Amino acid sequence: MKKTLLEKIILTVLTILVVLFFMIPIYWLITTSFKFGREAFAIPPKWFVFDFTLKNYYEALTQVKTTRFILNSVIITTGATLLSLVLGVPAGYAIARSRSRLLNISSYFFLLLLMVPPVAMLIPFYLIMRDVQLLGTYAAVIILDTVFDASFVVWMMRSYFSDVPREMEEAALVDGASHLGAFLKVALPLSVPGIVASALYVIIYSWNDFLFALMLTSPKTKTIPLGILASFSAVEIGWGRMAAMSVFAIIPAVIISLFLNRYFVQGLTLGATKG
Amino acid sequence: MNKSIALSIRRFFIEDGAYLVMLAPLLIFVVLVAIYPLLFSFRISLFEYRLTDPNQTQTFVGLQNFVRAFSDQVVISSLKTTLVYVAGTVSLELLLGLGLALLLGAETQIARVIRSFLLMPMALPPLVVGLVWKALYNADFGVIPYYLKLAGFNVGRGPLAELNLAMPAVILIDVWQWTPLLMVIFLAGLKSLPTEPYEAAIVDGASRWQSFFYITLPLLKPTFLIALLLRTMQSFKVFDTIYATTGGGPGSQTTVLNFHIYTVGMTFFQMGYAAALANILLVVVAILSILYIMVLERQQL
Repeated sequence: MKKTLLEKIILTVLTILVVLFFMIPIYWLITTSFKFGREAFAIPPKWFVFDFTLKNYYEALTQVKTTRFILNSVIITTGATLLSLVLGVPAGYAIARSRSRLLNISSYFFLLLLMVPPVAMLIPFYLIMRDVQLLGTYAAVIILDTVFDASFVVWMMRSYFSDVPREMEEAALVDGASHLGAFLKVALPLSVPGIVASALYVIIYSWNDFLFALMLTSPKTKTIPLGILASFSAVEIGWGRMAAMSVFAIIPAVIISLFLNRYFVQGLTLGATKG
Repeated sequence: MNKSIALSIRRFFIEDGAYLVMLAPLLIFVVLVAIYPLLFSFRISLFEYRLTDPNQTQTFVGLQNFVRAFSDQVVISSLKTTLVYVAGTVSLELLLGLGLALLLGAETQIARVIRSFLLMPMALPPLVVGLVWKALYNADFGVIPYYLKLAGFNVGRGPLAELNLAMPAVILIDVWQWTPLLMVIFLAGLKSLPTEPYEAAIVDGASRWQSFFYITLPLLKPTFLIALLLRTMQSFKVFDTIYATTGGGPGSQTTVLNFHIYTVGMTFFQMGYAAALANILLVVVAILSILYIMVLERQQL
């Protein structure tokens, strides 16, 4: 069943079209961030040859509080990631190892939570946060992100741990370790790849969140997506500056898809397709 | 007998006890910040409550908000819009995702590099994706209308502002961002297929197309079902890209239910009604989720 020359040509052309379709918007964003306004929207479009400038980045960092937005995003993402790992990894382990049917079934409860439409959570959560006076704080966004993040971590780590053989932990138990000790000293070190995979997914989810931050942050705690939108709807439409700020916002996505893709793919498939 | 009871009691306290301790912090957290708000949301949905009301009065109206929802023309039209959006995005993404998995599934260096680049769209902030496409679609300086005009198509005020083009335009954005996810899921599915049927097919002289239609497709059915349900649930939740591109317009062409709920709650501040709508959406998604779980369970057996 060798491919004919014609088939090879068709497949190559298709591949090139696919790459162009998926990469052009990202290429457009990155090049626009280095263009002057008049060139960014020149007709016909200037794809390859243009005057290179750092003006947009300079403006993004001096005229708008881009560094503040990035810092806020980093704080919220770090908080949500750590909290969801601390809560989710032991819970995932417990569900994977326990022989109690009730505990095993509870993993579906977390899967259901993961599927809750954010807007359904947002309306009551907004009112509750207002009543406990946490609106506009990092904590409000971190907590709401963690509901979804931790549910993912449990689901993901549960399938990861069930693939890790339990013999070594049982040996530790026989040697007199407690269940908690067996988890911390034996299972945890073995499951670092799984933890990395779920952490990456959680980082992307929290970093990219827009809706929760839109409702729950104040001007002081605004994250980068909100900052981009705000700078954009201001007096003049600064597409170049928008592009420069967006480049900061896409850094995690670029790093994770190009350099950590093995873990990222594992998180996506294990999280989605393993019961 | 006595011994086994003693053993199971011991197991419950020592073993399950230890596991329960590991699970407890998350359970408590989730009950407080997820289950309580959802119950609270059900309570609000029984009240007439305007956030802008200076006295913050909440009037009990029973199920009136739900009755209103099912006779509200805007809600019904937003439901229709949602169905068009979900059907459009999910079917295109399933088809193209499978295509991509077959096209780029080889374990060659170049295929691997291309696959890692294709992971990028789904990891990007949806808001940024929306803004980029908004610029690309712009009638005055956007590259898409420019090339469409060159090719002889009339795009009027740009794809996002034309009544019959706005929906396909936002569907295309979703397809751009999420098709690679389906590629990843189908790749995992393809990798887990047994090799024996293919070997037998070669012996029997089957063509590549025949083995694709008679072996690969039937064996991929479970993966297909899971991908379908997963993307359907996710597609129901679309918000950021709509917010960034059309804001639900033109008219209400792209006002999906999720976006409408946000507008009712956070622009018109009708918290009771918004909560009722959100609960209806919740039930729809819950039914889908339970189907999804049943499929996952069955696949395990």
